[in-house]
Amino acid sequence: MRFVLSSIGMVLILALTFAAFGLDVGKSLALVAQGAFDPAYGWPTTLTRATPLCLTALGVAVAWRAGTYNIGGEGQYLVGALAAAACAAGLGGASPALWAPVLLLGGVAGGAAWASLATWAWLKRGVQLVVSTILLNFIAVELVAFTVRGPLQEPTHARPMTAALPNSAMLLQLVRGTSLHTGVFVALVAVVAVWVFVAYTRQGLVLRIVGANPRLARTERLPVSKSQFLAMAISGGLCGLAGAVEFSGVTGRLSDGFSQNWGFLAIPVALLGGLEPLWVGVSALYFGALFAGTENLTRYTPIGNTVVPVVQATAVLAFLGLGKLMQRIRRPVEEPA
Amino acid sequence: MVHQHFMLVPEFTARENIALATMGNTRGVLHPDELSRTAQTWAKKLGWELPLDTKAGRMPVGVQQRIEILKVLALDSQVLILDEPTAVLSPAEIADLFRVLRQLAGEGRTVILIAHKLSEVLSVADRVVVLRQGRKVAEAAAADVDAAQLETWMVGGRDPLQLAESHGGGEVVLEATAVTVLGDRGSVAVDGIGLECHAGEVFGIGGVDGNGQLELAEALAGVRPVSEGQVRRPDKTGFVPQDRRGDGLALDLSVQENLAVGMMDDHGLRFGPFMVPARLRASAQNLVSEFSIKVADVRDRVGGLSGGNQQKVVVSRVLNQNPELLVVMNPTRGLDVRATDFVHSVIKHAAANGAAVVLFTTDLDELDLLSDRKTYMSGGTFTQTMGGATV
Repeated sequence: MRFVLSSIGMVLILALTFAAFGLDVGKSLALVAQGAFDPAYGWPTTLTRATPLCLTALGVAVAWRAGTYNIGGEGQYLVGALAAAACAAGLGGASPALWAPVLLLGGVAGGAAWASLATWAWLKRGVQLVVSTILLNFIAVELVAFTVRGPLQEPTHARPMTAALPNSAMLLQLVRGTSLHTGVFVALVAVVAVWVFVAYTRQGLVLRIVGANPRLARTERLPVSKSQFLAMAISGGLCGLAGAVEFSGVTGRLSDGFSQNWGFLAIPVALLGGLEPLWVGVSALYFGALFAGTENLTRYTPIGNTVVPVVQATAVLAFLGLGKLMQRIRRPVEEPA
Repeated sequence: MVHQHFMLVPEFTARENIALATMGNTRGVLHPDELSRTAQTWAKKLGWELPLDTKAGRMPVGVQQRIEILKVLALDSQVLILDEPTAVLSPAEIADLFRVLRQLAGEGRTVILIAHKLSEVLSVADRVVVLRQGRKVAEAAAADVDAAQLETWMVGGRDPLQLAESHGGGEVVLEATAVTVLGDRGSVAVDGIGLECHAGEVFGIGGVDGNGQLELAEALAGVRPVSEGQVRRPDKTGFVPQDRRGDGLALDLSVQENLAVGMMDDHGLRFGPFMVPARLRASAQNLVSEFSIKVADVRDRVGGLSGGNQQKVVVSRVLNQNPELLVVMNPTRGLDVRATDFVHSVIKHAAANGAAVVLFTTDLDELDLLSDRKTYMSGGTFTQTMGGATV
C-alpha cells in the first residue's frame, strides 16, 4: 500500500520536475517507463542496475541494524572490486570454472577487510564510524586510481585501467543485447540469506539487540564489540561482493570511473526498505527501475546528462518523503519515549 | 531551583548559560553580557571567581554548581531549592557552599536544602524536616536534635540493624572479597567491600541512591569489572537492573524478542545457529501467561507496555533462566501495589527454590519485607546506619 501510494506521488513529482525543465511531460514519462519496464531491454536493465544496489543496501541494512552506522559502502564496494581485479590478475591460466567463485570471494574479503579497518579504529581508539568509513571511501578512490596506473594497469600502459577480464571469466550474460548477468541471482540469494540471518539466527538476534539497545546487551553480558565487529565485516563483505559482481558481470575492467556511487546510494535504498532485507530487495528494484528509466530518457531527449542526477535525486527525496508521510498517516500518535 | 543533575548546556559558556536562564523576551537580539550582569555582581558579592567564557562542560562540577546558583540568583529568586547539592562536591567546596547559603539566608532569602547526609544538614540548617514515603514525619529546630534522633525518624522506629548470621545454612553461592569498583567517571564508587550470599537467602542492601549500589550490583552480576578484589559467582547469574527502560529492555523490539534475549541458549529453541521461530514464540507466550504480562500479542513493542508489565518482562526473562544467583536492584520502583506484590512474591519464590538473592533497594519497607540479612550502603562501604552519619 505504502509503495503504491508513494509510487503515484513519485510519478506526480517526476512530472513536475520534467515540467520545470521544459520537457514534454507525457513523452518523458513514457520514455522513463519504457527504459525501466520494456520487456526486451527495460526489465533487464532495471535488474542489472538493481543488483549492485541491492547488495550494497543489504550491507548497509545489516550494519545499521546492529547500530554500526557504516556509510563507507562506496569504499568497500571499490576495494571489493579491486580485490576481485587482483584475484583475476593472479589467476592467470587457471580453469575458467574457478574464476567466478574466486573473484566473488575475493570481493567479499576485500570489502570486509576495508570495513574492519574502520571498526578496529572505532573499538580500539574510539574513532567514530561515521567519520572513518566516509574517509576510507576517499582512500579507496585513490587506491583504485593508483592501482589502475600502477600494479594492475593493462599491459600496454596506455590507459588508466586494468586488462579486460577474458570473456570466459565473466559472469554469464542472461539476455542478449543487455548487460543482465547471473550476478542478479547472487543478489537474490543474498537477500534471502541476510533475511534468514537477521530474523532467524542466534547471532542475528544478538545483532538486533546490540543495535536496539547496547546497554541491554551489556546487562545480559552479550559480546557487544564482537557483534559490532561482525556486523561491520558482513556489511563490508556484502558491499565488496557488489563491487566484485559489477566487475565480473558488467565492466570486466577496473578504472577511475568504475564507481557509479552504488555504495552511497545504498543508504537511501536501505532506508527506504526500512532496513528489512526483503523490503531492501524490493527497494533496490525500485531504484534500479528509476536508473534504467532516466538513462533511457537521456538517450532520446536533448535533456543532457546533468539533468539525470537531478531527476534521480528528486525522485529519491520524493519517495522517502512520501514514505515518511504514509508512516505518519498510519501511526498518527507516536508517544515520545 | 538547583537540580541535583545540572541543567546546563555543556557546549555553552557560563555567560551563555546564565543568559539562557535570564533572557525572557529578547525581541530577537541577545546580549549575553547584559543578561549575565546581575549574576556577575552576585559572583563578586559571594567571592567567586567565574570563568565566564569557559564552556560549562569543561568546568569542574563545583564551578558548574556555582553557575546553577548564579542562574537562580540572577532571576532575583527569594526562595532557593537545592536538591542534593553536596553529592558531587569535595569537603572544601561543601564548606564554601554552606558559607554562601548562610550568607543568602542572612540576607533574608529562604533556602531549602534537600540532603541525606545528616551531619551536613545539622551543620547548616536552622530547621529540619524529615520526609518518609511522601509524608512529613517530623520537624524540629536543628539545635534541638542530633543525628541519632534524625536517624530514628528517617527509618521510622525500626530496630537498629544487625548483620545477623541467620542465612539458613545454604552453601555460599556468591563470594566477594575486598571488592573495589570504579564509577563511570573513574572515581572509586565501591570501596573494598566483602560479602557472602548463601543459597536460599535474600541479602538486602539498603541506603540512599548513589552510594555505590549501582556499581556494586553490576560488579556482582559481572556486568562491570572490579578494579580490585575478587567476585566468585556462578555461571547462572541473573541481573534485574534498576533502570529497566535503559538497561533491561530494548524498547523498540517486541516482547518476544526481549524475552528471547534470555532464551538464546535453550537447547529446545535452537537448531544449530538458527532459532526456531515457532518454539520461540511458544516459550514467550508461556512466560507471558505465567507472569500474567498484559500484552495483546507477543510481537507488540515492549516500549508500549506499562511500567509494571515491562518490569515483568525483565523479571520473567531473568528467572526463566533459573539463576543460582539473582542480583536485583530497586525491582519495584515506579510500580503500582499489585505489580509490587507480584515482584516481591517472585523474588521470595526464587529464594525459596534455592537461589541466592542480593537485593539492592532504597525502599526500607521492601528491605525489611524481603531480606533475611541486611545492611546499608553509604559512601561505597557497608554501614550499620541509613544516613551514613556516625551516631
